[in-house]
Amino acid sequence: MEQFKQKFIEEANDLIQDLESSCLILSSEPDNQAHVETIFRAMHSLKGGSAMFGFDMIDACTHQLETAYDMVRSGAMKVDDKLLDISFKVIDHVKDLLEENDNLSESTLQNHSQLLIKISEIVNVDDSKTKDPEHSSSSAEETYDNDINTYYIKFVPNRDIFRNGTNPLLIINELVSLGENKVYSFVSEIPVFEKIDATHCYTHWVVLLATNATKEDIQEVFMFVDVDCEVEINNLGSNLSIKEADLIEIDSEYENGADLTADLILSHLEPIVKSESISDNIEVEEKKNNIKNHSISSIRVSSEKLDELINLVSELVTRQASLSLLAENLDHKDLNPISEDIDKISRRLRDSTFSIRLIPIENMVTRFRRLVRELSADFDKNIDFITEGTDTELDKSIIEGLLEPIMHIIRNNIDHGLESVKERKALGKPENGTILLKAFYSGANVYIQLSDDGRGIDVEKIRRKGINLGHIPEDAAMSDKEILDMIFLPGFSTTTKVTSVSGRGVGMDIVKRKVTELKGEVSIDTEKDVGTTMTIKLPLTLSIIDGLLVMIDDTHYVIPLATARKCFDFSHKDLTNAVNNLIYIDDHHIPFANLRTEFGINTEPPEREQIVAIEYNGSDFGLAIDHIVGEYQAVLKSLGSMYRDQEIISGATILGDGTVALVLDPHKIISQFKFDKGSKE
Amino acid sequence: MIDSNNNQSDVGTYLTFEMNEETFAINVSKVLNILEMQKITWVPRARDYMKGVINLRGAVLPVVDLRIKFGLPIKEDSVDTSIIVLSIIKEEEEVLLGSIVDGVREVLEIKDDSIVASPVIGTRYNSELTTGMLQVDDKFITILDIDKVFSINDVVEYKEQSTTETLEK
Repeated sequence: MEQFKQKFIEEANDLIQDLESSCLILSSEPDNQAHVETIFRAMHSLKGGSAMFGFDMIDACTHQLETAYDMVRSGAMKVDDKLLDISFKVIDHVKDLLEENDNLSESTLQNHSQLLIKISEIVNVDDSKTKDPEHSSSSAEETYDNDINTYYIKFVPNRDIFRNGTNPLLIINELVSLGENKVYSFVSEIPVFEKIDATHCYTHWVVLLATNATKEDIQEVFMFVDVDCEVEINNLGSNLSIKEADLIEIDSEYENGADLTADLILSHLEPIVKSESISDNIEVEEKKNNIKNHSISSIRVSSEKLDELINLVSELVTRQASLSLLAENLDHKDLNPISEDIDKISRRLRDSTFSIRLIPIENMVTRFRRLVRELSADFDKNIDFITEGTDTELDKSIIEGLLEPIMHIIRNNIDHGLESVKERKALGKPENGTILLKAFYSGANVYIQLSDDGRGIDVEKIRRKGINLGHIPEDAAMSDKEILDMIFLPGFSTTTKVTSVSGRGVGMDIVKRKVTELKGEVSIDTEKDVGTTMTIKLPLTLSIIDGLLVMIDDTHYVIPLATARKCFDFSHKDLTNAVNNLIYIDDHHIPFANLRTEFGINTEPPEREQIVAIEYNGSDFGLAIDHIVGEYQAVLKSLGSMYRDQEIISGATILGDGTVALVLDPHKIISQFKFDKGSKE
Repeated sequence: MIDSNNNQSDVGTYLTFEMNEETFAINVSKVLNILEMQKITWVPRARDYMKGVINLRGAVLPVVDLRIKFGLPIKEDSVDTSIIVLSIIKEEEEVLLGSIVDGVREVLEIKDDSIVASPVIGTRYNSELTTGMLQVDDKFITILDIDKVFSINDVVEYKEQSTTETLEK
């Protein structure tokens, strides 16, 4: 049971996400029927699941809200801010309920009862609307067209009905097909056998029908007979059960030969508290259909199974490397093609396996939309949140890790970046501030940019703050970019005013740390009165990379191919004679570092060395190594906590022959090299 | 300074090994495996007792030269040179690492009451790093508290500070 419950909670969280995004869309396009449908269905599934797993409180509030959206669906109610506000509150509340599970806190309980009252207010207001005399009876019935109503239908055919070629039983059958029913036939008028006229119809019927069909639908059944037959159709109302057990009294009246009038039947029918008995059957069916539809497009798999699969693929890739090595060494004419084929297949297998873990950024954008919506109300700023490229995919774990830093950046944008409406008007900017979230691929990286069109960051203010905090000397000559980078230092906040949202002095350093944990980088650009752009650069996945296998001394290293641009061959003499560590490549002088010296290797270098040109901050930087072995798919393994301080090594990988090669982080090597060089000068 | 394992039973099981002709012991509960000496991938810019990493059944295992850590002279690799795979607790996390020693000797069952506290003066090693000493025949065995050994970055600094300082920097 617990495990099903867990599954429900997972599912519920997905549903909540759908709900949130649909509600947000509705807030800008209140007439979007498709999203009303989505909300209705999500509420519905939430309700069903929560009732099944004992989340009665979720059941209660989603049930109410479902009713409201059902009204919207049928046009009896309009989507307005009030409804959306409540919807968001319910969504938050449901989140709380799911999280707290059995240990509900006092505040949640209080919240619950308040919410219920609020929802019922909304729903009831609309109830009264539908009873409004302005509305014609037909529209009132339309409102209920999805509710189950119980009808009393009395059908007394004309005696000569057979002569018209009509079979009354077919009519009864058609009625019966509309929903749950009970048919009483009255045969008391049938005379004794000798007197029967076979062309006459002596029987009449009373049908109790619980259906979501309207009165018109039922009338249609009698379309061809109603001229000469007596047809009485009465809506007895909804919430009436006509289950066998509830009809015992009526049955006995019927057996006693009583004429079953509508009033008589109504007096015997017990209204049910909730419209459960009949409607539930239909709900279950609907639900089944939903599940069917979903399973075609996606399958829910536990992330553990995925991790296991990825581990296996990683191992396969490692073993594949051994096979390639063996095939190469044996140089067997039959083995080589097989090994090459397997190499290709395992590459593809690797790529598709890793793509399973990739999910579109859209998944987290919903949260940001909500944040913007809420904060724009809090700060009384009008903000348009625009997204681009949200179909860009990233590893699930990276997306999870990004939520917090991006939320933080958005908070900063709204709190510090964007001006108030008044200020914007004075500056001649559009009244609505804009926050743009843009995601795109570039090489083996994904970039996420968050821009606002606010006041920008005052570089001078940052510089003064940096001096005050003692980070930089008073007369430091620094580029704007270097100064801006200081906002990523711990405890650096220039806001004089502390708000509840941002500006507590913890902030950008956490953003930086979180992004670095994901092997990403964050940078900032700003222009006064034009806006600020934060750029987060991330790797696509964390566990397998295409690399360049190189040798230094007797050790293998892997340089990520994504960073390497070109390779060049030089004699050792050229490198040692290079002035100022600059070497002439492709009509350019590019700086380089010899990794032998950097790593402190003192053995005799080979006569010819290779330089791998690495793209670093838009220009090339060379890394000199002994020689290049070839391309290599590296399954990244952590070096563990013992080598935690080793910044220039991003991990290790196991080679085909079982030895370990280190995966270098060229950018870190270069930045450390530049730093060392800078400090020496 | 008594290992928790010893509190439960009167007899503890220890693996003994040699470094620089001296015998040391580690509680077997800390030992996962003993490997032959093999090619170690050297990691640049690490402390010198961090010898590098090896492949332990598909995982990357850091290897430490316990002799350097203890400031002992390094003997040339021989058939006896071994890597003891240890599971230690470092900063409340379980960490696997390999330790290079001159040679592994035997597994001993040692009665708790035969372990004597290390004398505070006159020993080469900080008494904090040892659980105690044991005399077998005419030899002394130093029982190491291996978690402690690796929780202190610079084991050698406690003694012969002046000579080892340059080594660490």
